[in-house]
Amino acid sequence: MLLPSAKWRWPSPSGLPSWKLTGPLLALLTVLWATAPMVELNLPRLASSSGRFFHFAGQLVEMPDWGYFPQLVLKLIETVEMTVLGTFIATLVSLPLGVLAASNTSPHPWVCRLIRDLLSLMRAMPELVWALVFVSAVGLGPLAGTMALAWVTVGFLGKIFAEAIEVVSPKAMEGVRAHGAGRMQVLQFAVLPQALPDLVGTVAYILDHNLRSATILGLVGAGGIGYDLIMSMRMFQYGRLIMIMAAIYLLVTALDRVSDHLRGQVIHGQLYEQ
Amino acid sequence: MGSSMSSEPLAALRRPVQPLPPRPRDYAWAWAAGVVALLLGITWHLGINFAALAAGLGDIAEYVHRYSTPNFTDWSRYLALMGITLATALWGTAIAAGLSFILAPLAAKNFSPHPVVYRGAREILNFMRAMPDLVLALMFVAAIGLGPFPGALALGVHSSGFLGKFLAECMERVDKDTCEGVASTGAGFIQRLAFVAWPTILPEGLGYLLFILDRNVRMASVLGMVGAGGIGFELYNSLRMFNYDQSAAMILVILATLLLIDHAASWLRRRLE
Amino acid sequence: MSIITVRSAAKRYPNGCQALNGVDLMIQDGSFTVILGPSGSGKSTLLRLMNGLETPSSGEIFVGQDLVIPKNLISIRCEVAMVFQRFNLVDRLSVLTNVLTGRLGRRSWLGTMFHLFRAEDMAIAANALDRVSLTDRVWSRVDKLSGGQQQRVGIARALAQQPKVILADEPVASLDPVSGEEIMLLLRAICDQDGITVVVNLHQVELARRFADRVIGLNEGKIVFDGRPEQMTPQALDTIYQRGDDAAAKREMALALA
Repeated sequence: MLLPSAKWRWPSPSGLPSWKLTGPLLALLTVLWATAPMVELNLPRLASSSGRFFHFAGQLVEMPDWGYFPQLVLKLIETVEMTVLGTFIATLVSLPLGVLAASNTSPHPWVCRLIRDLLSLMRAMPELVWALVFVSAVGLGPLAGTMALAWVTVGFLGKIFAEAIEVVSPKAMEGVRAHGAGRMQVLQFAVLPQALPDLVGTVAYILDHNLRSATILGLVGAGGIGYDLIMSMRMFQYGRLIMIMAAIYLLVTALDRVSDHLRGQVIHGQLYEQ
Repeated sequence: MGSSMSSEPLAALRRPVQPLPPRPRDYAWAWAAGVVALLLGITWHLGINFAALAAGLGDIAEYVHRYSTPNFTDWSRYLALMGITLATALWGTAIAAGLSFILAPLAAKNFSPHPVVYRGAREILNFMRAMPDLVLALMFVAAIGLGPFPGALALGVHSSGFLGKFLAECMERVDKDTCEGVASTGAGFIQRLAFVAWPTILPEGLGYLLFILDRNVRMASVLGMVGAGGIGFELYNSLRMFNYDQSAAMILVILATLLLIDHAASWLRRRLE
Repeated sequence: MSIITVRSAAKRYPNGCQALNGVDLMIQDGSFTVILGPSGSGKSTLLRLMNGLETPSSGEIFVGQDLVIPKNLISIRCEVAMVFQRFNLVDRLSVLTNVLTGRLGRRSWLGTMFHLFRAEDMAIAANALDRVSLTDRVWSRVDKLSGGQQQRVGIARALAQQPKVILADEPVASLDPVSGEEIMLLLRAICDQDGITVVVNLHQVELARRFADRVIGLNEGKIVFDGRPEQMTPQALDTIYQRGDDAAAKREMALALA
């Protein structure tokens, strides 16, 4: 083993780190440096505005506006309701769509491709953009928000479900079909029992994600606490703002823990018989 | 239970059939009824009228038709804005990577130097996750001013909550034997990270990073609505003024870019495996 | 001169298992000691107490004059290296990098965190690889090597530490008999030529007979035999492998003498 006489080396034949590591890293740093002006990265301005940031944060620590509490609770309930309803509708709708989008249960390959692309488009844009669209369609209010959440969730769940169906063991399907089962029966007895359990964990994750999204949909008038949030910021009502932020934090954290716990249970198979 | 083969097979038929054990109590129907009741209640409380919605289906067709003539005259501006959006997402992801690099090892039970540090790091990550990125963007815009960088900061802080948690969980799955092997040579905390944690989780970690990038590009497109730069602001104004042609064009630009990034990220992730 | 002193060490695990029950032991500098015993006798625990991978519930461990406590683990581990049953290498890294991790205890985190090493560390690693005859595989990823080769990397890593003691926790249990033989010969050679104290946990009585200067028999957390390999009579072996249940004891013996 020939060692050049450098004082410090890497453990490689040339003494330098491998290109597979440094190449992409350098490329990334170059791109970041090139896009810095686009992002208006201005470190001096950042440093000076940290003072403003702490001033702002300090102002937040005002006395909470307890008179606002009843309305806060109402809006929170509305947010949760939008999440639950939207997710539930999406789960229902994505079951048949998932079946159609899975290559082993779809009636025709064209149907499969079409539905797959449709699902992809549905989840392509963030919920807030869809909320904007739905607000201009059905008007302000929680309906638009619920629809936006359901729409994007169908795009996501439909794909996940289709993938779960595609990895179902074909032997089970053959076995049921060999006894003269029709298409729906094959689905019910061979496909769904295998594909559904995974869905539970995914739905738990989706609920968590949707709650986070639901908290801001109000920004564009689609219901929930988002509207109050931005209004209180614009009108400098810090007493309300701190309550809203604390409420969002507590709500999201609570669901996060529940979702984690549920997912742990599912992984360890405690949720159904072994 | 298993009957032996007697010389009189018919004797088995003459014995009374063993009754099935009682069916275990099944409360599924009660759960289902409860869920349906809950959902009906929610629908009523939100003031949603599905009948009216169904009746308005015809209107929906007409509404969709309004988007059918996208107006691309301003396409270069849309592309430029989309470029800023992408740059914002990239910087946000880079900030997230930096923050997670520091927090994830502290939030991994098997690497963290002290249980208090572990709990603290986990709580910090939780907090970063809990605040919606839009809210963080609002705060940063209020502090720093308008422009894409507060958006990048907001994305960075929020997504490092996720990335940090994913990476910490990866590290906790590292084989205990491997950790002990390097620990037995007298390696310290940072050395164990450099030689056991990061080399072992590198492929999975990069996969998560790409996932976060994908997600950040999605979120960056809406951050403009709160003044954090990018195409979001344009789209928001355009839709509020019922300018369907321009909105349609912008939505298509956003869609196309997001789908492209999606495919690129999946391709990269597959190459990593 | 006793290089490792174990004084009234006991270890009780949180699940209630009493692994060690008052063990007193002095390992002489430069000796080759083999610890025999059935599974669950506490062999692993005893060894892991010596480099701080386990802490005793009561009693003390000394390496030289130094007490083994969490505060001085790094300096202890510079002197006491370990070879593991499942090799405990970092799969995705190369043979050389794995051996170099043996130098980490003596180096600060500043350079090493970027996988940068000094030329003298490289030379020590090269030496260690030469001792275990693995120089030709130096750039391979360790998970591409056979079991015997991976264990030799483990030994090279231990050698790179330039330790006073090498502990080996069932180093041949995951290997075929031929590779196992190679590893034992290597360990014995290291003890004879470098003067490094070696303490090995083994299942196989035959290997103990052939390689050990001193055999220690452990059963249910207590030392039940301490002597030269020649002194291992069938009765002595019975005491070591004795269990409440005769059939289990016979099974253990059969496995050990295989």
